[in-house]
Amino acid sequence: MFLSLYLPISGNAINILLLFGLGGAVGFLSGLFGVGGGFLMTPLLIMAGIPSTVAAASDSNQIVAASTSGTFAHYRLGNVDFKMGLLLLIGGVVGGTLGVQLIKILRATGSADFVIKVTYVIMLGVIGSYMFIESLQSLRKKVPVDRPVEEAPSKPSVYARLVQALPWQMRFEKSGVTLSALMPLVLGTFVGVLAAIMGVGGGFIMVPVMVYMLRMPMHVVVGTSLFQILFTCINVTIMQAVTNHTVDLVLAIILLLGSTLGAQFGARISRHLKGDQLKILLASIVLIVMVQMLVGLVWPPHLLLGFKGGH
Amino acid sequence: MRYRLRNRPTIVCCLTFLMILGLAGSVWADSVILQVVPPVVEISAFYHGREVTITGSLPAGYQAVAEVMGPVGQEHLMRKGRRGPLWMNVGEVTVSGAPSLYMVLSSAADLLTEASPWGFQSLKKNITLTGVPENEMGKFLGQFLELKKSEELYAVLPGGLKLTPAGNDRLEVTGTFRLPANVKPEKYKVCLTAIRDGQAVEQQCVPLAVQMIGFPALLMSLAYEHALLYGILAVVIAIFTGFIMGYLFKGGGGH
Repeated sequence: MFLSLYLPISGNAINILLLFGLGGAVGFLSGLFGVGGGFLMTPLLIMAGIPSTVAAASDSNQIVAASTSGTFAHYRLGNVDFKMGLLLLIGGVVGGTLGVQLIKILRATGSADFVIKVTYVIMLGVIGSYMFIESLQSLRKKVPVDRPVEEAPSKPSVYARLVQALPWQMRFEKSGVTLSALMPLVLGTFVGVLAAIMGVGGGFIMVPVMVYMLRMPMHVVVGTSLFQILFTCINVTIMQAVTNHTVDLVLAIILLLGSTLGAQFGARISRHLKGDQLKILLASIVLIVMVQMLVGLVWPPHLLLGFKGGH
Repeated sequence: MRYRLRNRPTIVCCLTFLMILGLAGSVWADSVILQVVPPVVEISAFYHGREVTITGSLPAGYQAVAEVMGPVGQEHLMRKGRRGPLWMNVGEVTVSGAPSLYMVLSSAADLLTEASPWGFQSLKKNITLTGVPENEMGKFLGQFLELKKSEELYAVLPGGLKLTPAGNDRLEVTGTFRLPANVKPEKYKVCLTAIRDGQAVEQQCVPLAVQMIGFPALLMSLAYEHALLYGILAVVIAIFTGFIMGYLFKGGGGH
């Protein structure tokens, strides 16, 4: 095989250009939408022949590079709300720890796989559909972009009143919102639990949470999400390397070279796209992944035996 | 004494017969010759699988089967099943007695049939599965072999060995098999069996080592022996690359 490289931790050889291309494509989406891309990269790496545990851990490592590059790019553009990001991160770490414990309990009862897959399909389906419909409606109405949509007369006002009633109100200058500090902490915990269950950075859940629940502008959402993902993935990479020995440095380096390049292009193109256009694109990708997962769950598998956690 | 003298022709006959048998034995000791090239396969940074050549010889009139086998151990797999409308992992299956790698080559296609004592049939006899319903044992055994075939770790190559007359009433044996990219670095065994009338007459085995060298070996030792350092190094490289890329792109295009 031309340009093949042996990946010692994966225990397999793979084409360098294929990995570089995968990294570039997912990095592009990362820079464009502010998602880590774990929900796309991990299944793609598994399809390319990488054991699933190594794919997930090495993906976290390459997301560190992509999100460093993306955060840096967005920071220069003034799109990172560090205050909000820090609160979400604290919530995310608490939620991640809770999620890991939850997975342990589920594994003991033998229902972990079912819960993980169903959570994936439901979360992807709900988020993707909501984002898609909402963005399509606001594009048709030609409402001002870059700001979360203030439509749907009754529900948002109840929600807004509820949010305003919470204690520890805080002004987030960069995002231009005033919220209770509990909001990002609780939502960060919620995303952290889901991310740990699903084994991903959680960017694709965090972005809609920031847009729809924290009412942050889309461009600040992207930069802040990348900032939060950066620290989550640093933690995951070190934990995986120490406990499971599943971080493949060679694989991660090739992926990150592609993804950091892609992230830069993504960040620049995101400036040319309107907020709703970005949301529709992300929603479409989320829905495609959901449909692919759903087909995998419903369609009878070719073989009734599979490797446990990889090879 | 008389007794001894009376039985002398019998003793001589017996001794002569034993001598002939001994001579025959010494001929048989060299009758199957096997060599594997290379005897040691090295996994370096650009390893992506490797062809291994089997060469040898056996007496004329025989057929040949070559088997490549990895160490026998336990494997833990997941069994998929249906829960409502969804397919998912429903339990763990432990496979015992299966070699990590198994490839079989034969000089004639009919040597590797369902009924033959070589190939997957012989493997099936030694493999036991725990964690599958008793009435589905055969089905899951077949699924296990299919899984290993899909990983290129198990292969059946009927007609993969060529026999050519080599003079002195002997046949030269040649064949090649491909060690896949995902082969584990461990000790393997290659055996050549001489077959007549469907029965194994003699077998010769040689070792085949697969070992990791250079950068992959260094990385493996770092990942397993200095895991924390390895993890920190992975993060530092990622952050550094991210910053460098970010810096390189600074002002390099329109916003």
